[in-house]
Amino acid sequence: MKPYTAHARAAALSALAYRGNFLLSLGGAAVQLIALLAVWKVLLADGQVGGFDWPHMRAYLVVAFASATLVGTFVDFRMSHRIRSGLVALDLVKPVDYQRARFAETAGGVWIEAVAVIVVVAITVAIGGALDTPPGPMLGLFAASIVLIVPLKFAVSYLSTLACFWTENFVGVLWARQALTGLLSGALVPLAFFPGWLATTAQWSPFAGLTSTPALIFIGQASGTHAVLLVATQLGWVLVMWYGARLLFRRGLRRLTVNGG
Amino acid sequence: MRTIRLYVRLLGAHLRSLLEYESDFWIMMVGTVIMQVVNVVFLAAIFAKVPHINGWSFWAVVAMFALVAIAEGVGSLFFEGMWNLAWQINQGDLDYMMVRPYPIVLQVSSMQIGVNGISNIVTGGLMLGFAIAHLGIDWTVGRIAGGVIVLLSAIAVKVAINLATNSVSFWMQSPSPLFAFAVHQVGDLARFPLSIYPLALKAALGFALPFAFVSFFPVTFVLDTGDAWVGLLTPVVAAYCLAVAWFIFSRGLRRYESAGN
Repeated sequence: MKPYTAHARAAALSALAYRGNFLLSLGGAAVQLIALLAVWKVLLADGQVGGFDWPHMRAYLVVAFASATLVGTFVDFRMSHRIRSGLVALDLVKPVDYQRARFAETAGGVWIEAVAVIVVVAITVAIGGALDTPPGPMLGLFAASIVLIVPLKFAVSYLSTLACFWTENFVGVLWARQALTGLLSGALVPLAFFPGWLATTAQWSPFAGLTSTPALIFIGQASGTHAVLLVATQLGWVLVMWYGARLLFRRGLRRLTVNGG
Repeated sequence: MRTIRLYVRLLGAHLRSLLEYESDFWIMMVGTVIMQVVNVVFLAAIFAKVPHINGWSFWAVVAMFALVAIAEGVGSLFFEGMWNLAWQINQGDLDYMMVRPYPIVLQVSSMQIGVNGISNIVTGGLMLGFAIAHLGIDWTVGRIAGGVIVLLSAIAVKVAINLATNSVSFWMQSPSPLFAFAVHQVGDLARFPLSIYPLALKAALGFALPFAFVSFFPVTFVLDTGDAWVGLLTPVVAAYCLAVAWFIFSRGLRRYESAGN
């Protein structure tokens, strides 16, 4: 355990060193929050659309912002760089598990993102009024679902970054991943707005757990056993992808060519 | 003429080197196409439930998204090097350019080529084409001529903002253009109709950082709705932005003091 806490601690410190890049990604999420708030405020000015009224949609978008901000792309960029340059060889000779070390780094950097989320939520509340919170037990489930975002988003990023063993280009893969997760997670628009088949597919895909699940629990559209089932799905995907990534990593290593020097 | 011919040759050299990495090229293409498709699906999902946003139809908003995509595409395909300016300043690489008999600003902007520009221009062009076909515009010779001028001016506004914000790097020490990226992100707000935003944002996007002239006002001009006459100001705004960008760049260049080694 000790080497992993060391990785986490180092990542927690380097989060401060790269604050410029962090603020930039925060700005991107904030711009999206502002745009979507403006769009929905106009659309919901008088009444409901697709089962959402303004207070609920506002809370949904705030949770979506929080889930977009948690677990940035810092670890993926570093990892893709080290795979493509061959520096990954140095990581492989260390007596730590590669995947667990990367997860420790991801978890270590979360604190600065959590602080940023709290600040932005406070600003939103100050401008637009308080958000309704769900009743006690559902609030606990919401918290669990938010915490599960960290390993889930890590697993999605880690799996897509492993593509660097095959593609040697990362930015294109990152763009495709961000676009698809944005859509299928419900970060751009709640999944209920999609046509039935797409909504159902997205709902049970690993992506829904990134935004839709915590947001729906928070605004009370998912409650009781339905909510428990959604959170269990999140957990299930974490496990599937965690072990799936191990298989993929092993195959990727066979493709790895490192130039000496 | 010679200036333009040389510019094409400079870009061509970079394009050839990029095409050496064929799979990279296709991954970038696919990545950007997925981004644009996701944008359209997102809009379609909203407009499946509501007829219009603040009076703007689905195709009008698609046209705004399309203009932003085209302007960004032209920026990356022909002027990507601007994004490298901060690095060039930091490394003292402008020294070489100062002794070459070619405008420095053009040497900078042709330093790189963003192949994702091709797919952004193509997908943006398709979106714009479909939007125009569905909007039932009453085409007159005047409107066609005006439309072309406004489109070119809109692109010029975006490129000028890129140059101006990247030139700010002359005053900053950072090797990456964080300020320019931040402003670029704000530009994403202009994909939605300006009329949905609160007054402060309208002022910001209309005057301070005139992103509204990249997408919103050109579309109002062609559709002849709202304050269509403001769209006619696009060439004036473009000229103004180019002048400001040129002013900032040349003032910055005077501050430039190599890296010294």
